[in-house]
Parts: sequence; C-alpha cells; structure tokens
Amino acid sequence: MADHHVVIDNLVKTYPGAQKPSVDHVSFSLPRGEMLALLGPSGCGKTTILRMIAGLIAPTSGAIRLEGRDVSSIAVYKRNLGMVFQAYALFPHMTVAQNVSFGLEMRKVSRAEREERVRKALDLVKLTGLGDRKVNQLSGGQQQRAAIARSLVIEPELLLLDEPLSNLDAKLRDEMRDEIRDIQARTGVTAIFVTHDQDEALSMADRLAVMSAGRLEQVGTPREIFDRPQTEFVASFIGAGTFFEGRVAEPGLAVVEGLKPLRFVGEAPVGSMVKLMIRPHRLVLAGSSGLPNSFTGTVEHIVYRGQMLTLNVRCGGRLLQADLPTHAGVLPEKGSEVTLAVAPQDVTLVGQVAP
Amino acid sequence: MQSNPLLGRIAWNTLIALLYLFLLAPIIVVFIISFDTRQYLAFPPESFSFGSYVKVFQNVKFISAFWRSLVIGAIVGFVAVSAGMLLSLSLVRYQFRGKAAVGFLILAPFLVPHIVLAVGIMLVIAPLGLLDSYPGIVLAHLGITIPYTVRTITMSLMAVDTRVEEAALVHGASPRMVFWRITLPLVRPGLIAGGVIAFLISFDEATISLFIVSVKASTLPTEIYHYLEYSTDPQIAALSVILILISVAVVMMVEKLIGLRKAL
Repeated sequence: MADHHVVIDNLVKTYPGAQKPSVDHVSFSLPRGEMLALLGPSGCGKTTILRMIAGLIAPTSGAIRLEGRDVSSIAVYKRNLGMVFQAYALFPHMTVAQNVSFGLEMRKVSRAEREERVRKALDLVKLTGLGDRKVNQLSGGQQQRAAIARSLVIEPELLLLDEPLSNLDAKLRDEMRDEIRDIQARTGVTAIFVTHDQDEALSMADRLAVMSAGRLEQVGTPREIFDRPQTEFVASFIGAGTFFEGRVAEPGLAVVEGLKPLRFVGEAPVGSMVKLMIRPHRLVLAGSSGLPNSFTGTVEHIVYRGQMLTLNVRCGGRLLQADLPTHAGVLPEKGSEVTLAVAPQDVTLVGQVAP
Repeated sequence: MQSNPLLGRIAWNTLIALLYLFLLAPIIVVFIISFDTRQYLAFPPESFSFGSYVKVFQNVKFISAFWRSLVIGAIVGFVAVSAGMLLSLSLVRYQFRGKAAVGFLILAPFLVPHIVLAVGIMLVIAPLGLLDSYPGIVLAHLGITIPYTVRTITMSLMAVDTRVEEAALVHGASPRMVFWRITLPLVRPGLIAGGVIAFLISFDEATISLFIVSVKASTLPTEIYHYLEYSTDPQIAALSVILILISVAVVMMVEKLIGLRKAL
C-alpha cells in the first residue's frame, strides 16, 4: 500500500456550514497503471474526491500522495495531472490542435516537439488530421477524444475522468467505453474515473471503490464487488438481489422466518441477526423440494427478456426474484408452483443487523 | 369575418415604415439642411452646396476639439474597459461582504439624471484642481461609462464556463496564464462592446462636459454647444452629419468584428 503509485489517505472534506462531511475519512490506493472507478449515487462525494485529487478544492484533512509525495498543498497547475471533464471543457476559442497543445505550451515545450506530440496524441485518440478543426465543429464523441488527447499529451502522473461517458448517446457510449479502456491500457497511465453507472464501472475498471454518503463502502475488483458485496449498500446498489434477515443458529446456518434454514458462507457469531442476499441469476430450478437451501412457492409474475426469464416467486410471505436462462428446459408458467435452490456460496452475507 | 391577408400586410408594412420615418426624421432633416447655402437653419433648403462641410473643416475650434474628443474617448474607452473587467471579475467570480451594495453603486449612475451627476462630479473635481483638464474630463466620463462596461463584460463573463478555466489550471496554466489565455479571449465580445459604447458616450457627452471643461480640454459637443449660443448656420448640420457617419462607421466596424447582437 505504501509503495502504491497513488495513495488517498484519510481524506475529509467538510464544506463550511455543512452538518456532515461530504467526504468522510476515505482511504484507497492504486498501483501504477491501474484504472479505478469511484462509484456511487449522486451526492455521495465521489466528484468531491476527484476534485480534491485534482487540486480544484482543498481537503479539510488527509493526504493525497503521488509517488509517495503529499501533493495536497501543491497548487493545481503544478501537480502534473490530466483531467477529462464531464462536458469536456475544451477551450472554445482554440482549434483542436491548440487545445491539445495547451498543456505543452504551459510546460514550455519547444514548438517542434509540441507539434510532434500533438500529432501523436491525436493519432492515439483517432482524430488524425482533425487538428485544424474548431472545437464546435466536432461531434460529441470527437470532443471527448480531443479532451482525452489534451490530458494525455502532457504524460500526466495520473488521469482523472469525471463521468466520462454521461454526455454520449447509448451507442457511442459502448464504443468510447472500450476506447478509453484501450487507450488507458496502451499508455499505461494510472487513472481514476467517477461514475454513477455500475455497468460502466464494472466493465471499465480494474477495481471499484463504492461510495455512499461520503463514506467508502468497499474497494475491490468488479468480481469481488458483485459476488462478495460486504455491505448491504454495495449489494443493493450493484445488481439486483433478494435480501433476507435471519438469526445465526450455528456457524454458516441462518434461520429465516417463514423459510427453511439457509446455509451461507461467511463469518457471523451464533445468535446474531444477519442480512443475507441472493442474486437472481444464482437461483436454479430444483427437481425436488426436499433439498437444503431451496424455496418452494408460486410464480406471481414473469418477464421474458430473451436470454433470461425473470420470475417473481411468492415464498413464505416474501417475494423472491430469480433469473432463469430460457434454454433451461421446461419453463415455469405464471401461477404454477416451483422450487428454486441456491448453493451456500451464493448466499452472501452482506451485514449484521444491530439488535 | 373574412380578413384580407394582403391588405393586412400592407397596413402592417406602412405602420413599420412610418415608425422608422418618425425615428429617422431628425437625421434626414439635418442631412438635407447641411447642404443649404443660407446662413440660418431652415427647412426646406433653397439651394444646395458642400459649402458648410468646407467651413466645418476650416473651423480650427471644431477640428482641434474633434481631436481632443477622439483622444479623450479613446482613453476613456480603454480605462473603462480595464476597470470594468476587474469589477466584473470581482462581482461574478468572488463572494464578499457588501457585494450587492457594490453592484448597486456601479449601476447607480444609470438611475441618476446626468445634470445631477454633472454637479456632483464638478464638486468633486474642482477641489482637486482638475477642472478644464484632461484627467478631469476623463475621470468624469469614466463615472458614466464604467456602468456600461461592467454590464457588457459581466454578461460575457457569466457566459464563460468556469470548468474551461479549471481545465486550463489542471493542465498546467498558472492563474495568471488562465486569465490571459482563457478568460480574456473568451470575454472579448464584452470588452469590445463595452469599449465602443464607452468611447461613443464620451465622444457624444455634453451635459457633464459642460460643467467640467471650458477652453483647454473642451470636447466637440461642448464646442458645438458654445457655437450654437451665438450662431445657427448649416455648419452645425454638416458637423452633425459627420458625427452621425462616424458613429455609424464605429457601429458597423463592431458589427463586422464580433456582431453587435452578440456583444450586447
């Protein structure tokens, strides 16, 4: 952790007059070349963190270390960062090439070298030959590319991206998602991006930092976050799921009211109340109702989604959501009785309930 | 009732034409009189010549006052724009105690009659020994032109996306470089519009100038006023036509440069 490229250490931001801090003791770190997503609902403090790293706002306390050096008191323009803004924030009175060249000019790079590096940066983002265009002559996707080129041309210590895909339409978004990932991998730049879109975060980032109400909930790989959410917030914010409360009767076994005892994986003291979660696609149709971790109930609602069939099954007074692959043989119908089963490792412990 | 669209349109166009005629009538009359050969102002003229124009260009008082007005106008335009830029920056970008009061004070000259302002400015300038001097008239004109430059520049500045300035900062520009390379170029329409308006006001202004200047720093409008006290001949009409043409030229230049609608 200490030798990590970027280290965010106990960062706090309390705006004057605010009751609660917007960012509350957040710590995480990135090794060189990693892409990390700061994910959370709007107002969770993710953008505030990004702006503190950039130096556009000052932290109340805590440190931001680049290469082991605390930069939190260094002026914005001396931090050597690249930043792609949500609405791109290109300089409207300059051409594309002048936009890209700006950071190099500020660093007093010679004209010949500037031209060479601008050309390379435009090639990298596939804007070859568009350097003489005015910014307002570019499409949304091209502006995005120009903004990325402007940030990368200076070979920044760290690339920051603020909701990089939110201003693009759906088709372009998928394209740019792969593109950004590809550019980041090719340049090897360490990057942090902010998003409220879980798909974006899961598909683009090496690791995710999930935030809620100013606090960091969990940091982990997309898989860890999706399959092993450690808090109820992370479990409900990312992906769908059915939640249960139960009392731990013996290690790895919880008694849930109205259902059969549920086997789960995770450490919880015997006698405590726990919150458990099952992802819809982890439930499978079971042949008999005698199996452990099985639920028998009536199909209340069916939505056909092509590859998937989403069922709402009324079971023991609660509604269970299940996604079944449509190639799974005979599919249940509305009103019929079904038995669903789940493996113990797919029953995720997401938190303890305070007594 | 069946309405006749053609008749309606003719009526509408006539109304518009009449309105324009009403607005332009004084200028048209002045224009025609300026070619009259008689030594008093009357309409319509009896015979036409360029005699009055020749006299205007031979009138040393007018010519020297014209150059003085030009210089005063240029200085007023430049200083009013510089001061307006600083005031606009503080009003748009910073929060400070008494901001509303400052904003109101800057715009106050809009609300006070010029004659009242004139007396006030004279009472301030006289003890400083600046009556009938360039600094005096420039200061007086700044008082009435800065509200306009603050207004046009504030409008331009509010339209500047602060994230664009942030982007420049992040990518290595010091706050000073951000100002020169980003903010200033982006508010250029407001600067030009403010400068032109300040110049034209200073160039045209008579009421306040009459209180401040007499001989040494007399401006063209004050010279015209003094001339009219003793004589009323077509020279004044010819001079008016020249001034109108100058104003039109300036406005057209701005229109070509940035588009007046965009600037205002």
